[in-house]
Amino acid sequence: MKKKLLAMTMAMLMGAVAVTGCSTTTVEESGETAEGTPSEEGEDETTTDSFTGNGDKTLNVFLYMQEHEKEIYKDLVAEFVDEHKDEIKEVVFEITTQDEYNTKMIANMTANDLPDVFYVGPSAVRSYVDNGYVLALDDYVDADTVGKVWGTTQEIYRYDGSNVGSGSLYALPKDLSCFAFAYNKDLFDEAGLDYPDPENPYTYDEFMEVCKALTKDKDGDGEVDQWGVANANQFGMTPYLYSNGVKFLSDDMTKVNVANNDQLKEALTFYTDLTIEGVTPTVDQDAALGGYQRWLDGQIGFYACGTWDVAAFMDDATFPYEWDLCGWPVGPSGDGKSHTWMGSVGYCVSANSENPDLAAQLIAKLSTDENGQKAVSGITTGNSIQLPNIVDLAYGEFKDAVADGTLPFPSNMDVIFGYFDGNDHYEAALQETDYTYNAEWFDPFWQGVSNIQSGDITVEEFLQEVEPEMQSALDNAIELQNSATN
Amino acid sequence: MTGKKSKTQLSAMAKREERWAWLFIAAPFIGFLCFMAYPIIFAIIVSLSRWTGINSLWGNIVGFRNYIEIFQDAKFWKSMLTTIIYMIGIPIGMILGVTIAMGLNRKIPGRRVLTTMYYVPVVSSLVAVSILWAWVFNYDYGLLNTLIKFLTGAHGPNWLADEVMVKVAMIIFMTWKGLGSSIILYLAGLQNIPRDYYEAAEIDGAGSWAKFANITWPLLSPVTFYILITSLIGGFQVFVEVQVMASNGGKNYSAATVVFYLYEKAFKNGQLGYGSAIAVILAIIIFIITAINFHGQNKWVKTID
Repeated sequence: MKKKLLAMTMAMLMGAVAVTGCSTTTVEESGETAEGTPSEEGEDETTTDSFTGNGDKTLNVFLYMQEHEKEIYKDLVAEFVDEHKDEIKEVVFEITTQDEYNTKMIANMTANDLPDVFYVGPSAVRSYVDNGYVLALDDYVDADTVGKVWGTTQEIYRYDGSNVGSGSLYALPKDLSCFAFAYNKDLFDEAGLDYPDPENPYTYDEFMEVCKALTKDKDGDGEVDQWGVANANQFGMTPYLYSNGVKFLSDDMTKVNVANNDQLKEALTFYTDLTIEGVTPTVDQDAALGGYQRWLDGQIGFYACGTWDVAAFMDDATFPYEWDLCGWPVGPSGDGKSHTWMGSVGYCVSANSENPDLAAQLIAKLSTDENGQKAVSGITTGNSIQLPNIVDLAYGEFKDAVADGTLPFPSNMDVIFGYFDGNDHYEAALQETDYTYNAEWFDPFWQGVSNIQSGDITVEEFLQEVEPEMQSALDNAIELQNSATN
Repeated sequence: MTGKKSKTQLSAMAKREERWAWLFIAAPFIGFLCFMAYPIIFAIIVSLSRWTGINSLWGNIVGFRNYIEIFQDAKFWKSMLTTIIYMIGIPIGMILGVTIAMGLNRKIPGRRVLTTMYYVPVVSSLVAVSILWAWVFNYDYGLLNTLIKFLTGAHGPNWLADEVMVKVAMIIFMTWKGLGSSIILYLAGLQNIPRDYYEAAEIDGAGSWAKFANITWPLLSPVTFYILITSLIGGFQVFVEVQVMASNGGKNYSAATVVFYLYEKAFKNGQLGYGSAIAVILAIIIFIITAINFHGQNKWVKTID
């Protein structure tokens, strides 16, 4: 009997093992984990470097980044310690992988033992501030420093206690990225088509026509083997919808608005028609080989291009085709501009830091040091990991480096700058999921779209059906968002 | 001599030895307290809260609300049903396991090589073989569909993106992965059955089926029992296979298991309280099923003694 009891207890424990362990995704950079983004590449395990000075202040820095970024930022920290060597005793610079990072940060928060400097993503600003983890930077970072970076990154880390976008500043950007659109020039040449105009993005109708012209059976076996466009998961769907003025949520982010949303209905019909009309691989074909692989293989005319994808696409070994950037197609019911989403992660200072001033100076250096930004953007290294955070640098030396060939980058880079800055043709914003506690409310929507593409349900039926499920998940997210004040 | 009396008579050396004994007992016991008891109790507390990892745990205790919501949660029931459907592979694996083990129990050439081959999947990394099988099941380029096209001329099913076929694919994969260990266990069981039982049966005129049904299968029942218990417990915990082969949970969430759902809730959507409540429910289910099994074993599990 005792043995039985022991065995049963063991069984129960095995069941309970699933209970332990923790992690969260609040600091994940939107979309950069999307399919086809080689974010894992070069990531290694945790490393800790120590930089010492002659002073008495200690700073603990805890971040995640890729191997090749790490070296650049280590040099910056060493330089910072040298500049402040009379103040600093030690800067501990701990770098880990993104997965590890989230787990460790939760442990740190639970133990109330935060490093002086860590990351906060736009979606986590509210939670972090409401729970008292991060320091307002207003008194520590001067307006000149803040003014150097893209307008978007000045805004998204502000929070006034009820809304993100205004109020005190809580972080400086590590980077800003966006999901632009790219086309394979070689396929355009073969088809005898004019290249897309970077100044004037296609309308939905024009885009459909071009895609039809690019879709072919090249080897004559009766099956299509080149498509106009392939769409990268939900991150590659939303730009089509945003470009028709679609908003999934009410302005105060509390109500899901899909069932009676004409702009969404029109845009989603267009998006799913791309598959139904056959200008994208079918749902089955897409499951067999993803769009990213097909794009690299030269089977696809248009494909999404995150700012982080540029280096891979510029590499002839990875992508042996001529290509350039263009805008996402513009829907008839929007504001006439091409829209996409942006992503960012920021450096923040712990509210409990013993040396907030020094910590703030360090993040200002990591975020806006000119030499550091020249290195990560590739102006001095020839390898662009990200766009410069400093606007003047982006429009100045960065463009010069691209123009004189020292930095491999597609010539239509103004498309990206247009999205970053906003102009007559381009506009970008964070995704709505970045403003809610989690992105769970969007899952039922994305998961159902393939049912429209395979003809199992109409757009109209789908939108009616999915709204309650989305609203219920959103209500949950709102409750968790507000739980900080409990 | 009573225990108490003997204790008072312990020599100094015996006392010292006793202290060491306690120390040795303490090591696993403290390990159990820190790494098992504490996390379990903590998880139970978390399951009663809306803890996110960021907010305060004690400020967000909500009683049994998570549990009530789980029972009304369609996605939870869907993933639970899928988990149970995957368990169809358990009896299939047993039948295949005992059949192959009986084959390997004969004096055939190369049986050691064969046994090793069957056991290789068991010792291989689950993630690695899951990736491999995702390729086997690939719609256009997979080994399986290439074979189907070669044999029948028709295109095979979209294994991993079809609501029904993904379950078939998962069952095939999990059966393959677990087969080696049931073969080894059955083989050991077969070798424990005394030859003279079969000889006696042969004298009585028993055929091979009669021998199997009346000697082999009953005497293998302790092995079957062990495999059943461990497979059921493992079956409720399936996660990696889904994560690798249908990372979004499959079409309309058709491939997701309970643990996969738990993981998404807790770690993707930051609902640690809700996730913990699912884990506690899962632990209770496993406990009940194991208890039923132990309770029922007297009815069918036979031993040689």
